[in-house]
Amino acid sequence: MDYKALAEQLVKKCLAKGADAAEVYLESERTLSVAVRKGDVETVEEAATAGVGLRLFVQGRMAFSNSNDLREATLDSAVARAVELARSTSADTNNVLPSDPGITKVDGLYDPAIGRVSLEKKIELAKSLEALAMKDARIKTSDGASYGEGEGELFLANSNGLSKNYRYSSCSVGVSVVAQDAGQQNTGGEYCSRRFFADLLSPEAIAKKAMSEACELLGSRMVKTQRATVIIDPRVAASILGGLLAAIDGESVAQGASFLAAQLDKKIAADLLTLVDDGTLAKGLASRPFDGEGVPTQKRVIVDKGVLKGFLYNTSVAKRAGVSSTGNASRGGFTGLPGIGAHNFYMAAGSVKRDDIIKATKNGLLLTGVTGYGINPVNGNFSGGASGLWIENGQVAFPVKGLTIASTAADMLNGIDMVGDDLDLSRSFAAPTFRIREMQIGGE
Amino acid sequence: MHPAYYMVEDIPRRRFLELGVKGAVALAATPFLMDTLLANSSSGSLAAPRLTVDKAMLDRVIRKALERGGEFADVYIENRISRNIAMEESAFRSANFGISQGAGVRVISGDKTGYAYTDEITEEKLLRAAEVASYVAKGGTPTKPVDIRETRTPAFISVSLPLDQVADQKRLDVMKRANDAGLGFDARIKMVSVSYYDEVRGRIIANSEGRFVTSELPLLFFIVQTLSQGNGTRHMGRERLSRHAGFEMFDQVTPEQVARTAARESVAMLDAKDAPAGKMDVVMQNGWGGVLVHEAVGHPLEADAIARQVGVFTGKLGQKVASDVFTMVDDGSIANARGTTNVDDEGTPQKRNVLIKDGVLVKYMTDVLSAKQIKQERTGNGRRESFRYLPIPRMTNTFIEKGKDNPADILASTKSGLYVQALSGGSVNNDGMFNFTCREAYLIENGKKTTPVRGATLIGSCLDVIKSVDAVGTDLDFGPGVCGKGQSAEVDAGQPTVRIRGINVGGTRAR
Repeated sequence: MDYKALAEQLVKKCLAKGADAAEVYLESERTLSVAVRKGDVETVEEAATAGVGLRLFVQGRMAFSNSNDLREATLDSAVARAVELARSTSADTNNVLPSDPGITKVDGLYDPAIGRVSLEKKIELAKSLEALAMKDARIKTSDGASYGEGEGELFLANSNGLSKNYRYSSCSVGVSVVAQDAGQQNTGGEYCSRRFFADLLSPEAIAKKAMSEACELLGSRMVKTQRATVIIDPRVAASILGGLLAAIDGESVAQGASFLAAQLDKKIAADLLTLVDDGTLAKGLASRPFDGEGVPTQKRVIVDKGVLKGFLYNTSVAKRAGVSSTGNASRGGFTGLPGIGAHNFYMAAGSVKRDDIIKATKNGLLLTGVTGYGINPVNGNFSGGASGLWIENGQVAFPVKGLTIASTAADMLNGIDMVGDDLDLSRSFAAPTFRIREMQIGGE
Repeated sequence: MHPAYYMVEDIPRRRFLELGVKGAVALAATPFLMDTLLANSSSGSLAAPRLTVDKAMLDRVIRKALERGGEFADVYIENRISRNIAMEESAFRSANFGISQGAGVRVISGDKTGYAYTDEITEEKLLRAAEVASYVAKGGTPTKPVDIRETRTPAFISVSLPLDQVADQKRLDVMKRANDAGLGFDARIKMVSVSYYDEVRGRIIANSEGRFVTSELPLLFFIVQTLSQGNGTRHMGRERLSRHAGFEMFDQVTPEQVARTAARESVAMLDAKDAPAGKMDVVMQNGWGGVLVHEAVGHPLEADAIARQVGVFTGKLGQKVASDVFTMVDDGSIANARGTTNVDDEGTPQKRNVLIKDGVLVKYMTDVLSAKQIKQERTGNGRRESFRYLPIPRMTNTFIEKGKDNPADILASTKSGLYVQALSGGSVNNDGMFNFTCREAYLIENGKKTTPVRGATLIGSCLDVIKSVDAVGTDLDFGPGVCGKGQSAEVDAGQPTVRIRGINVGGTRAR
């Protein structure tokens, strides 16, 4: 099917049925996933699907409909239903569509080779990863290994004359294993996701990390309730700082529902903190040539040496705030309206070696596991469950589990006193190892 | 790799909007039916989808699925018509109408499962899916399935005002009533957001044991969030209402009641002080707090974890695992509840399953595959988010059974500790460590609820927490939630007022 033509034709249909403006978001995708356990295939899943989301405005009132049935009669009904629904919503002068025809050049989003690798080879990859991750004698059970891939094409057309599309792919492989020793059990896992099949890390490297994550917390104990220095491992950076994304969402800011609402161009963090949102990173898992409503993506510094430099906007929230879209319209697929979201979001690397951060810490926690919701974007409170390695006199002393950890965003951001040089941009939310001077730890 | 942990989400607004339509699916048995359905929609109401399906075609698909071996195959056909309306800052921001349909074919061969799905429900596509799914049975000998026959199923969901006969204006009215009640509650309420979602999901389930079930279920989900401002801080309060029911739900619990509950929390928490950190006794108010045992005990009792021998309750059947006063139940047959269905997504009828009785573990929750693997009965817990997902063991309505203690006495007899009035949600990992965030909590001082505290987290081990329950009230109540385990499921969690001795609480100040 010629999806580009279909998208353009649907825009015209919306206008003919009474819409003043319309947008069509069409996605066609193929997915495959394989799970193996104890050396044998557990599940194989395969599918090819397509769907369309129609957003339209009638006298400033917005409605949306979506369908995964692309036959003409169904789509005609979906258009009619959306026009009818637009009678129910409130008129808003900010309900506008973008008109920038630009497309940001982003390299490495689509790997044509993924689909050519045989299913058998992908199953073998997962099997070998699982076998390698069982090699440590303390690993008693496998919780399985998996391989997954998806590739597709996205089409976006609107009544301002935009008609854009791009192809994308991704694949990932991971494993989860359970370590046991002296009556204690701990699960650890590791995965690797890439745009290109050939870029996947070796099963040996992934297995090694999974084993070490499973084993490193064996023999864990509790510590006393206290205030202590906390070193944030890169793997929990998103759990610690993820709440910031909701706090810099331009809509929360406009609604007064963000603790950062009144902080633009003010110092909100230590000089060491620089945060970047980058939709243009080559081969980035969250890179794209245009955002969820067709605005070209960009690379932006959000926090520059501790100073808050900007928020994230889509087109309508930008209009409300009197600024331009930052190309941050997010889309959870064809079934949903555009929201606001980051692309590849990361903390800029510092200059300190990770080992030196540990060495410089007299008493504290190297945080490797955290549960909970992270920083509350509304009021900045932070509290969660914590596990990791306890540091005494600059050395790892013993593992800890079942602790709680709490602070506020202001104390955490201003308390950052060391930032490592070990930034790995292969995850869409990335940070190097960094240290927060003091947080409240709850234990015995 | 299986999800390393499970969680019940505190759904942010955006996520909710997405969930509303993700896997938006429901049930037109044939493309022709979908057309009929949509044609009727322009009148403002949807005709009830009538299921007609070519049973002989399904027999051919199931035969194809078992052609290369395997001992079980099923076909799942689904369609879902959904509506989702968002109100914020007193304006109707958006309205979303979703149409989704599709079908999946599954083959089970030993411990292996093959699955393929398509969103085009034609014989050609279903046969192709059957062939792909049969990959896992490659090299086996063909199995002969039983031809499907209509199977009678129980009905736990009754409807007086069908959703497809409700005019859009009625939906807007209940939202506006909630918005006005929230803003009118107190001058410190600065914003109200209201999410309305409804769907009608139709299913056809046919399997190689000859079972053929058709079902159509309505679902309503209504969420009010209120943002308060004062004392130099803000608090987002929340209340949710959800049932598998018709629009009469709003006569039983009014939109105003829902909004006021959220607003009361928002205002109360403006006076909150820092929460203490350390081990303390916790009294949990009745209702949604049951999500703690949903996470801490429910997930580890799902039989896929038991079959894989990774769950903390593996091998503990018949053993004493909790205190004598603790009885826990999963019951997918509670009339019209959010976690209720007439049959699960594999066609197994729902019923009341006592999981832990007076502290003794008596049953795990199974789907078809795990029931076979652990040699236990099918309990009606085989559920799936949509045709895009395989069914797996999931909870329905899960709760601590009511006990004998007077709720007021439970509080009065607790010298000091934390009173948890509302939890956000939480998670549990494979090792049985759970974690919860409190939305509304108070200090207990000399048997009384005193100062509200913010930012408290509860953390502990599943095996310890249920041994530490020492008082169970008579006031069983429920709350609705969205449970995530690689795919989402609608559930209710419930409990009477209970006391747990000695949970680790994470706050921002040392005691």
